Amino acid sequence: MTVPDVISSTDVRGMHASLDQLREQIVDLLPRLRRFARTLARNPHDADDLVQVAVERALARSEQLRPDSRLSSWMFGILRNAWIDETRTRGRRNRIFAPEELGENVGDAASESHADALSVQDAMGRLPDEQRMAVGLVLVEGLSYKEAAEIMGVPIGTLTSRLARGREALQSMLDDTTGAMQ
Amino acid sequence: MNFSEETLMAYADDELDSQTRSAIEAAMANDPEIARRIAQHKALRGRLKATFDKVLDEPPPQRLVDAARGVPAVRREGNVIPLRRKRPQRTAWPQWATIAASLVIGVIIGQVLLRMPTSGAPVVSRNGQVLANGTLAQALSDQLASTQAPDAPVKIGVSFKSKAGEYCRTFAMHAPTTLAGLACRDHSDWRVQVLAQNPQGETNSARSGAAYRQAGSEMPRSVLQAVDENIAGDPLDARAEAAARDVRWH
Repeated sequence: MTVPDVISSTDVRGMHASLDQLREQIVDLLPRLRRFARTLARNPHDADDLVQVAVERALARSEQLRPDSRLSSWMFGILRNAWIDETRTRGRRNRIFAPEELGENVGDAASESHADALSVQDAMGRLPDEQRMAVGLVLVEGLSYKEAAEIMGVPIGTLTSRLARGREALQSMLDDTTGAMQ
Repeated sequence: MNFSEETLMAYADDELDSQTRSAIEAAMANDPEIARRIAQHKALRGRLKATFDKVLDEPPPQRLVDAARGVPAVRREGNVIPLRRKRPQRTAWPQWATIAASLVIGVIIGQVLLRMPTSGAPVVSRNGQVLANGTLAQALSDQLASTQAPDAPVKIGVSFKSKAGEYCRTFAMHAPTTLAGLACRDHSDWRVQVLAQNPQGETNSARSGAAYRQAGSEMPRSVLQAVDENIAGDPLDARAEAAARDVRWH
């Protein structure tokens, strides 16, 4: 199993963690939750809204967190569900707006690394939702295939094929825009 | 040996068992094409991480820290949160649970105002503000929670000094419609900060009657939240409440 690149010592919730402890553990997880939300929502403000919804939902159903389960995986799952609810509700509004916003920002890019980052985000935004989620969980969050598949509620084979397709699509989009890979 | 693209990706993701990994490493030594494809997968992974890892260096916005710690969020002007947030329901107030989430002051006030002649309405709108009116305004100015009659038309809940230095009071009433809210002293007026309405709205129903009886001590969640957001220190005790009334809440 691949070890996620950032694991806080409090990541696995202790058997007797109180609600207050859980709250602090969630505070510690906020940077990662925000990172995952940004791979999904693309617009930073929407991403933070998504994190807020996930945090509130998690606290409202904290009794569902099993003592042996990893808090980060549980929270990612809640965030994922919140995002699915959100995309169902709002349709594909972000998909329409995001490229334009990104396009405006490209002109402000002060450095090549900034421009590169925008094109990566833009390419991510063009992926089908399920591929983007697989890429976000494995390549950005550093989760194992098994953890990512559990969060997405699919067999590992489905996860790996979405990941592969997402990767190929990203590769070809980024090759088109920036040429050779380093 | 031929490896599928997924296997090469799994190698880049460190997802292979040691046997397959060794086989790939042996193949890489002989076949630069395999090495190139793996390098490409790793490079893409690095590029994605470099893009999204930047957010890890930012301190999370206070509203998210507050959400995690259970501190009521400060409502920000113009910061519309488009996602519907499910709030935990407060079992002590089943009759308020549905409206706590749907509380939109303008809608409720519109309903109240439209039905009422201004003279008798509990709230009026003036210069873009919602002000207590009539019996509500009178009760806010004169009535003390410690001495109010059980059947008073308006029940006063807690009184406190806000962070802005104003006196604020929670109230509940059941005629002409079941309302509960928070009002703060604004010069000689009471500015209504939050107003919650029983969705049933019937004046004489058993439900609104029950809600009314509890209202002195318990409030809808939206009102409690507004109290939490506004209060500076502790609620006034009976003596401080009387003293504040005696100086007309200034």
